[in-house]
Amino acid sequence: MAEFREALEEFSRRFKNLILSREMVTGIPVYHIGKESLPEIALYLIHHPNLAGTLSMEWAADLRPMKESYRIYTLFSLMKKGFWMILTLDISGKERLYPSITPRIHGAKWYEREIRDMFGLIADGHPDLRRLVRHEHWPKGTHPLKKDFTWNTTLEQKDGTYLYRHIEGEGVFEVPVGPIHAGIIEPGHFRFSVAGEPIMQLEIRLFWKHRGIEKLFENLHLLNGVPLAEKVSGDTTYGHSLCYCQAVESLLALDVPLRAQYLRSLFLEMERLHNHLGDIGAICNDAAYALALAHCGRMKEQVMQLNDRLAGHRFLRGVNRIGGVTLDLEEAQLEGIVSVMSEIEKDFRELSNILFVNASLTDRLETTGLLKERTARDHGAVGVVARASNIDRDVRRDHPFAAYGKLNIKIPVFQYGDVRARVRVRIEETFESLSIIQRICQELPGGSVTVDSNKEASPGEWSLSAVEGWRGEILYFVMAGENGMIHRCKVRDPSFVNWPALQYAVLGNIVPDFPVINKSFNLSYSGNDL
Amino acid sequence: MFRIIKKSLRKGIVTGTYPESGMPAPEISDPLKKKMKLFKRSLTIREVDTGSCNGCEMEMNALINSIYDAERFGIQIAASPRHADALVVTGPVTVNMQSALKNVYRMTPDPKVVVALGDCAMNCGMFKGCYAVTGPVHKHIPVDLSIPGCPPRPSEILESLRTLLGQK
Ligand code: SF4
Repeated sequence: MAEFREALEEFSRRFKNLILSREMVTGIPVYHIGKESLPEIALYLIHHPNLAGTLSMEWAADLRPMKESYRIYTLFSLMKKGFWMILTLDISGKERLYPSITPRIHGAKWYEREIRDMFGLIADGHPDLRRLVRHEHWPKGTHPLKKDFTWNTTLEQKDGTYLYRHIEGEGVFEVPVGPIHAGIIEPGHFRFSVAGEPIMQLEIRLFWKHRGIEKLFENLHLLNGVPLAEKVSGDTTYGHSLCYCQAVESLLALDVPLRAQYLRSLFLEMERLHNHLGDIGAICNDAAYALALAHCGRMKEQVMQLNDRLAGHRFLRGVNRIGGVTLDLEEAQLEGIVSVMSEIEKDFRELSNILFVNASLTDRLETTGLLKERTARDHGAVGVVARASNIDRDVRRDHPFAAYGKLNIKIPVFQYGDVRARVRVRIEETFESLSIIQRICQELPGGSVTVDSNKEASPGEWSLSAVEGWRGEILYFVMAGENGMIHRCKVRDPSFVNWPALQYAVLGNIVPDFPVINKSFNLSYSGNDL
Repeated sequence: MFRIIKKSLRKGIVTGTYPESGMPAPEISDPLKKKMKLFKRSLTIREVDTGSCNGCEMEMNALINSIYDAERFGIQIAASPRHADALVVTGPVTVNMQSALKNVYRMTPDPKVVVALGDCAMNCGMFKGCYAVTGPVHKHIPVDLSIPGCPPRPSEILESLRTLLGQK
């Protein structure tokens, strides 16, 4: 800790002349810097041994009409325990360029392509400025998040081709897959370059499902954004709505009652539970072990039905609201939850014992889809994927929210980074979720479950919030506009950072193993495409 | 081995252990009834996502778990549109997916049935009018049956499909 503080002071001293101003926003230090100094400062944060930063998010906002400029934000998590720091810079006048950090910081690659597509701001020096969100048929100069772009514009259809990266050589050929896949999965395009069986390169092309969520947020009042946040990624309905609520609550200086905090943790764990159960079954099934799918599918369904009984919705839609939750649980319901949980716990323990003694299953999962720790760090990977590659990060512990500060949770971390490690992280987390839910039911404090606010956020005020969803770290940046409307809402699903990492985890594996590797990441397309 | 058998025996049969759907059964028009006669009592489905939030997908997936087990009613999921009798389409049809949707429709052999699953597919839901969506589904391809809900519960999807099949 002492070294960290020293390093921070050294940082401020060293860049005294480059830092234009400094402020604290909800406990996060924000440094406003000159445009040119971004790469230098960012690299320093990443390479300094006592700061050990990773890029967590890079995004832009069009500040008009408040200010005639665009602002670029970069968020860093410092040290293992994830202290945050934000660097901001302004681009004004006729300028469209800012210096790219991608050449040295791999994790910025997609963010900067996204900023270019959505705002028309160009990261100078970026090695790959192909379109990301805007597919080839979008007309030139369409940048939906600029304030002068109307949300209901009808886009013309143009012709165009997307240039995939090619590998050439004797015996090398390409296998294109998608956008529509076999089975019930979301659309995305995968292009494998293979020589014989092993994969030499995988290029993932997404954003088929881009629905304009961030633009739609700008039509809403701060208090009305929850239903949209719930639809960012259906499987993470609760995680996203919680993250949105927290961002707005901190803008409105709302103190959510303790009982609501505990209930929020409870519902978030229910979501983790049903998704992890589903994934464990599905991964084993992709290795032709259907037994696990049958049992896990059944347990998942038990949780979904419980959700439906408690909240009237299998995905827990409508449970969150700004200031708390919309429903309270009675004693009998809590007892009901505990009994379902202990039943599942016993059931699942039996199953996990069976799974781990099965040699043929282990053989398929071990050393498959290896994501090296170094690669994961370079991409700023989060969540289950990161924890399976020896990165000890979890928002529930690092930036406690809801009731997690009081719950003292265990966070499993595995080293090998293969499919099996990702299954094991999920199995451990499933047990932990079962235990957290039961603990909450027993310790739930009394009191009300919502609070209202009469504060208005003034235009330009913003806040940042983070939630550890079942997939990983969800981030929301919400900036208030005129009359309590949303001026800008940046949504970051964990999938957005883990997708590029998947391109590296498959290298050297055979194409038939791709489904199981992909499943072990289980990333959201809709949450990524927005 | 014995552990596996023991576990399966102890769990017994779980198929059908779900609350009945409370949704009213959909009206099936006469021309549609006539078309359905061709499929007799089974239906092979190709599911197409045109920009859903994946909630509808998850419920479609639930249909094949051991609790709903749609296969016992002759409902199967196909991996390719070329093998399908019916397309189940979810999502508000994004600008980036509209040509893929039309391609899939073209590739599915006639006669075929199209089901719009969920509010997004039926009327674009919250995404209506947005620059990035061009739906709903019936604007692009003819829709035979719609199943409302956000998302519809698996029991509701199953009821609607069984009504379509004339099993109800
Ligand atoms: S209808 Fe609802 S659940 Fe289905 S895709 Fe649309 S938002 Fe998601």
